Amino acid sequence: MEVIRLQHVEKIYADNGVPVTALRDVSLSIAQGEFVVIAGPSGSGKTTLLNIMGALDRPTSGQVLLEGEDVSTLTSAQVAAFRLEKLGFVFQAYNLIPVLTAMENVEFSMMLLGMDKAMRRARALEVMRELGIEELADKRPNEMSGGQQQRVAVARAIVNKPSIVLADEPTANLDTHTGAQLLDIMENMNRVHNLTFIFSSHDPQVIDRARRLILLRDGAVEKDVSGTS
Amino acid sequence: MLLLVAWRNLRRNSRRTIIVLVSIIVGVVSLLLYDSISYGMIRQMLDNSVGASIGHIQIHGKGYNDNRVIQTSIPDRLRAENAVRGMRGVRAWSSRVPSFGLLSSAQGSSGGVIVGVDAHSESRVSSIASTIVKGRYLEGEGREVVIGRALAGKLHVDVGDKVVGMASTRGGEVGSELFRVVGLFETVSADFDKTHMFVPMSSAQEMLGMGGDIIEIAIVLEQPEQAERVAADLRAQLGPDYEVLTYRELVPLLVAQLEMYDQMLVVIYVIIGLAMIFGIINTMLMSVFERVQEFGVLMAIGMRNAKVFSMVMIEALYLAMIGTVVGVLAGVALTLLLREVGIDLSVFSEGLRAFGAGAVITPELRFNGILAAVITIPLTTLLGALYPAWKATRLLPVTAIRHV
Repeated sequence: MEVIRLQHVEKIYADNGVPVTALRDVSLSIAQGEFVVIAGPSGSGKTTLLNIMGALDRPTSGQVLLEGEDVSTLTSAQVAAFRLEKLGFVFQAYNLIPVLTAMENVEFSMMLLGMDKAMRRARALEVMRELGIEELADKRPNEMSGGQQQRVAVARAIVNKPSIVLADEPTANLDTHTGAQLLDIMENMNRVHNLTFIFSSHDPQVIDRARRLILLRDGAVEKDVSGTS
Repeated sequence: MLLLVAWRNLRRNSRRTIIVLVSIIVGVVSLLLYDSISYGMIRQMLDNSVGASIGHIQIHGKGYNDNRVIQTSIPDRLRAENAVRGMRGVRAWSSRVPSFGLLSSAQGSSGGVIVGVDAHSESRVSSIASTIVKGRYLEGEGREVVIGRALAGKLHVDVGDKVVGMASTRGGEVGSELFRVVGLFETVSADFDKTHMFVPMSSAQEMLGMGGDIIEIAIVLEQPEQAERVAADLRAQLGPDYEVLTYRELVPLLVAQLEMYDQMLVVIYVIIGLAMIFGIINTMLMSVFERVQEFGVLMAIGMRNAKVFSMVMIEALYLAMIGTVVGVLAGVALTLLLREVGIDLSVFSEGLRAFGAGAVITPELRFNGILAAVITIPLTTLLGALYPAWKATRLLPVTAIRHV
């Protein structure tokens, strides 16, 4: 089943009034359960592509279909609801809410869905147990290591059972061993739950695990190779 | 959970939170103090005016209040006094013969109101007896007079000196009488002290050719709020030939000032609110700008603009609630303390006496004053938070996430 389809997507930024083309004529399709890595040198458009796939940014031209829905036709409230229900995000700098504990951070997006406290607590505990971080439940972000915070961020990303998880350089701030552990977790989630993972990264250990590698250069798809892992 | 996040956000930068709270508390306390002091002062002016000579109710012959001439005396003194004597709620009353006249000494003269009174009953109605600063109050029926210290200064007389009172008699001639100054009074009203002199009733009646007639009965009630009811009862008993007026009709300017007070207060509240609102906007904006990346993440994971807006507003609401509660408690405590000890403004006593207020102001705590502060300050805080909250919703997640 196709979860993402991009057709002739182009993104042009104005940098101090000078137009800069970040993406040129990108067309691709991603199916449910894929484990995709978007790679390429700095400035190749990896993050821009990930942002567009995550409905955080809109293309200058072209069409973006997420689960068959044309994102450009949705209002900002509908896009927010779509992101909440269908997408999960993992950021390079973890970006947990500093005033909340690990458990509360995981619960937060379920709260936005309007789930009652008992249900979201049970679900958060279930996911944290699966990721081996239940002992961190009462810790605040500043009491956790980078790897622990990123695992909590993964828990937050998957707790609403999204169809796609988008991870922007998730291992960039982690040492190799912790990064590998995190990727193990994500691979496991992908295998067990058939969850689609899309990474933007130039970390070799992430690229090594890709089962599909999309290589960008100067905003265009240079290579799109499946079965690389 | 939104409430929890907002609450913890406040504790995150405790110094900023304390600064905002202090400004809210100071705002509430200022409003309460302003209200209680200025209302207390106007109330005091009214009470002084009523207590000095006016009383809560006055009875005259019909038309006297519009044209104060001695020809308009009380038609039947006995009937009027009996009506007052039997009236429920009356604490004290005094019959009077006031007239406009001239008081002269060897060194000068001054116009004013010569009031003939029964020394005993008058001392229970007006505060003159208790404001004697030199000599004594009236004792009997002799030819004695008590005058204001200011008037004594003007006439260059002192206790023991002689003065001559002159006024137009009921028959239209000039009546005069020699009086000896037995006492000097000093009330809180400089104007009153310069224009009033009190003599025994019989002397005034004789000087004015009034016989046994009186012009006025001043009444003090157990409860001032009963004035309208007692006046209505007296009117019903005495009929159309009598004029029964309450203090509201006798000092309409002061009463109007008191009644307009709430409207004047609105202007002050708007000024204090405006002064506060910019501080709130500034602080809340700083709080939003410090969390741009966090707002970006929240929006990225699906938080709608309305919730982002609510979160900032809830923070402001917490600040408003805590600040107002603490401010009201502090303001009430401070007002009660000042009420106990009084605010000594004797440095400005001359100016205050010109307005009929005493040198020691007693603040008066009002429910309306507290209510206004409880409404105004939280409203101001929430209004001040509107722009920062709206600003937070204008963030684009894609750029906000990368904000450093």
